[in-house]
Amino acid sequence: MADFVQLVILGLLAGGVYVAVGVGFGLVWGVLNIVNLAHGALVIIGSYITWQLFTTLHLDPFLTLPVDAVALFVLGYALQRGVINRIIRAPLLFTFLLTFGLNLVAINVLLFIFGSDFRSVTPAYSGQGLEFGSVVIPYVPLISLGVAILLSAALAFILNRTRIGLAINAIAADRDAAQLVGIDLRHAYAVTFGLGAACAGVAGGLIAMSQAITPTAGEPYTLQAFVVVILGGLGRVSATVVGGLAFGLVEVFAQSIPGSGSVFANAIAFGLMVLVLVTRPQGLLGRLR
Amino acid sequence: MFLILGAILAAYALLAPLTSLDAAQSANVPLLADRLWFRIATIIAMFIVMATAWNIIGGITGYAAFGNVAFFGIGAYTTGMLIAKAKWPFLVALPFAPLVSAGFAALVGLPLLRLRGHYFAVASLGVGVAVGELVQNIDYGGQPLFGGASGLFLPIYAIDNRGLFFFYLMVAAATIAIAVTWWVLRSRFGYGLIAIRENEEAAAVLGVNTTVYKVAAFALSAALTGLAGGIFSQWNVFINQDNTFPIDYNVQMILMALLGGTGTVFGPAVGAVLLQLLIQFLGGSLPISFDIPFVSADARPILAQVILGLLLVGVVIFVPRGVIDFFGGRSRLSLSYLRRSLRETSL
Amino acid sequence: MTVRKLALLAAAAVAAVACGSGTSTGQTTITLGAPLGLTGSLTKESTLTQQGYNLWLDWINASGGIVVNGVKHPVVIKYYDDTSNANQSAVLMQKLITEDKAQFLLGPYGSAATATDAAIAEQNQIPMVEANGAAQSIFNQGYKYTFGVLSPANKYLEGVIDMAATLSPKPTTIAMLSADDNFSIEVADAINSYAPTKGMRVVLYKKYKNGATNLSAEVQAAKAVNADIVLNSGHLQEAIAINKAAKEQKLNAKIFAYSVGPSTPDFIAALGNDANYVYDGSQWTPQVKYTPAFYLTVSDYVAAYKAKYPGLGDPDYHVAESTAACLALQRAIENAGSLDPKKVRDALAALDVTVFFGQIKFDSRGINIYKPMVVEQIQAGVHHTVFPADVADAQAKYPTPAWDQR
Repeated sequence: MADFVQLVILGLLAGGVYVAVGVGFGLVWGVLNIVNLAHGALVIIGSYITWQLFTTLHLDPFLTLPVDAVALFVLGYALQRGVINRIIRAPLLFTFLLTFGLNLVAINVLLFIFGSDFRSVTPAYSGQGLEFGSVVIPYVPLISLGVAILLSAALAFILNRTRIGLAINAIAADRDAAQLVGIDLRHAYAVTFGLGAACAGVAGGLIAMSQAITPTAGEPYTLQAFVVVILGGLGRVSATVVGGLAFGLVEVFAQSIPGSGSVFANAIAFGLMVLVLVTRPQGLLGRLR
Repeated sequence: MFLILGAILAAYALLAPLTSLDAAQSANVPLLADRLWFRIATIIAMFIVMATAWNIIGGITGYAAFGNVAFFGIGAYTTGMLIAKAKWPFLVALPFAPLVSAGFAALVGLPLLRLRGHYFAVASLGVGVAVGELVQNIDYGGQPLFGGASGLFLPIYAIDNRGLFFFYLMVAAATIAIAVTWWVLRSRFGYGLIAIRENEEAAAVLGVNTTVYKVAAFALSAALTGLAGGIFSQWNVFINQDNTFPIDYNVQMILMALLGGTGTVFGPAVGAVLLQLLIQFLGGSLPISFDIPFVSADARPILAQVILGLLLVGVVIFVPRGVIDFFGGRSRLSLSYLRRSLRETSL
Repeated sequence: MTVRKLALLAAAAVAAVACGSGTSTGQTTITLGAPLGLTGSLTKESTLTQQGYNLWLDWINASGGIVVNGVKHPVVIKYYDDTSNANQSAVLMQKLITEDKAQFLLGPYGSAATATDAAIAEQNQIPMVEANGAAQSIFNQGYKYTFGVLSPANKYLEGVIDMAATLSPKPTTIAMLSADDNFSIEVADAINSYAPTKGMRVVLYKKYKNGATNLSAEVQAAKAVNADIVLNSGHLQEAIAINKAAKEQKLNAKIFAYSVGPSTPDFIAALGNDANYVYDGSQWTPQVKYTPAFYLTVSDYVAAYKAKYPGLGDPDYHVAESTAACLALQRAIENAGSLDPKKVRDALAALDVTVFFGQIKFDSRGINIYKPMVVEQIQAGVHHTVFPADVADAQAKYPTPAWDQR
């Protein structure tokens, strides 16, 4: 029984990272109809920023997260305004390919700057945690989960309570109508993408603590973002939060299948995603677009 | 004018290898004597098949599948297993590759093709990834069923002029793919597919059985892709999950179709040739050497990848209808064309 | 640009390709070919491989070149980037053979690329000496032209078992975690059969997806069986993930040993103090004591590496084994007294020489089963060789203390 509880906890904790990765991805997809294949690269850029600050200035990694957010917001805004906005009215396939190209450029620029060495951020308190009998709740993943939830809450707040957030909602509902009422589409789009990138940056900072990073380490997260967003459902931040946590649980339990079962974890995750798409496309909580 | 030139080039490429290899090699005649050329040309032909096949479901029918590489892998493993485990001869095993791929596509397509747009794309991606994982990891009686992680080794095909043989085989597959596309576009079936792409509800109202048509297109696309996979398995001698289900092949096929022009007969082929040549050129495998000043040898491969990425971005932004637009005489590659493209698609 | 101009451009391109039929090397230079994953997922390991090849290259050219029948031939190594894609590696192999007229081939990094390239070397009958593809399946195909100077995959963790058998109190139970790629599975399967011969039992054998970054479930399973030894067969990324999870989830064991990862400086840099006490099976460490028949001694080699690549610490075994591949080829060419591929191939098959890396001799399949693996342990942030006794420079710190007692 304690084992089961431990696994549930591990799943939820793992879910924290997935939530952070997913909310940014889902925002851009849900509002802008852009599937950003470079999302993983944005995440890893955040990781490297955190790593660099940790290594040279010895800043606590959690304190670097706001830096990640701001830096990635600026980068995302510029990307959207300068590049991605040029093909918004093109068929959706084009954004796939454009972001794929951006991904390629980003990864290789990182490779050029940082080289291929594997790096990780291991603060002094890493490994320690709360203990309840045989059940352990390690600090770093716990705080990461907290950060992810906070991030999602902040995003939801921006979307629902601020002027720009309402503009973004308007665009999601009807782009041309939004333009007709005077919303500056270019700016609003860029802000949306910037927010998505900022979330990716924060996710990257969290990831730098939980694993080793290298320029190509963001790739799997793009794929996983797909699953998270589909599982939870497009349209609402809370849906993606549920999706992320659910994905963490699926992953941990799939990997607990005795023997060689856990090698199917990926297949199970993607199979589940396809199943959800075919049977309940709005996901667990989302609204159908 | 272009047609004449294209025909000359094609003739050279196809007939030149028939010249006796030994004589050509001792005379050191370029291209004719070149095993490297065969390998690259075979790869180009392989991508022509895949891009053209994708075009059937993605370009003509409008369902942008993002996991077609699954059929390549299924085709490769079908042929691979029949040769390696059941010891069938290659040419007997090969026809089963398209059959099994098509069968799988029909099975998976029925539920999947009910989705639209992004959802279909992502679902097909999921299937593509999942199939690759399953093939690598399924065990039977404690042993990996499909060779597992160590992959499948096929016996080296015992034939003289192996490179030549596989080159022509792959070119034949490419010809079949293009011919099939040409036939589809001129048939009632093709009109139905285009109708589905333009307005699926209207097509249904007009009496097009959209489910049957879509699944048929998907299966056809899968069959052709599977054929390429089957040839690949014997050509490469070694197959495993990484080289038969590579995720970036998905993107490459689509990019080639887009670059050349989706929905056309020759567009994907043109795109395949251009993109593969570019990739090979940047990767240094073409017999042309180039030196970039100010860049150290270590940084060159990185720079090559960056150039590829930037080019991709540039093409998508500035040439969205594909390169084939220029070859029909409909447009000219000029600054005003680029500006027009930009205005059409940007915010 | 009109259609006409475009057509002319195409014609010019064809002409350029037709005329640029590659550089032909001079009669006196020996050209070696090496496709590596210099970008893509295998960049790190491929870079190490390249460092190993280059160290030898500098040395051999400083002495004038490889001596064939009294004549010195300078050496050129042509590198290509296969972007860590095995299919691209095949194309580049073919280019090296056909265009660059490489007379001999040095192997790529990784078993997948090595398998594909071995087939090409075989079809073209050009010897390939490799140092970075340890999966035995490559060598079970009956290829005659591929030779691997490294110990095969199954040996990677057997040394750890051998060492464990000498420790007291003797550990008896093993939890075996393994990635699902070719190489890792061979390592793990070998332990399954080897452990009982030394009086130990494998009580858990769990495979996970290659490249996984979240291994908390696997670590939990290992915790549940409470084994004396925790082994991981995988790569650097997973070794780091497992170690982090072990500390977080309070998985304790008397021995933590990972097949790949701890030998690289990245491991210690990434984990800090948490890297201590970890063992790994290594192809080579800077502490081994082999007397070389030619080329540098172990300590000179380490010095040469630090001089050419300062700031990176000691050379990792990936670097050393790559240099060894070059040495094997060099000695075979000298022994054959010729640059004829078949003669060199035969000389490779008959080779038996000891260099700084250890004994290089190939069995009938072409892999080096004669060189032993050594076991390293990280102690206070520094690598030490702890087994076998004749090459050890420190005692194993056994048993590994529990996480909260460090």
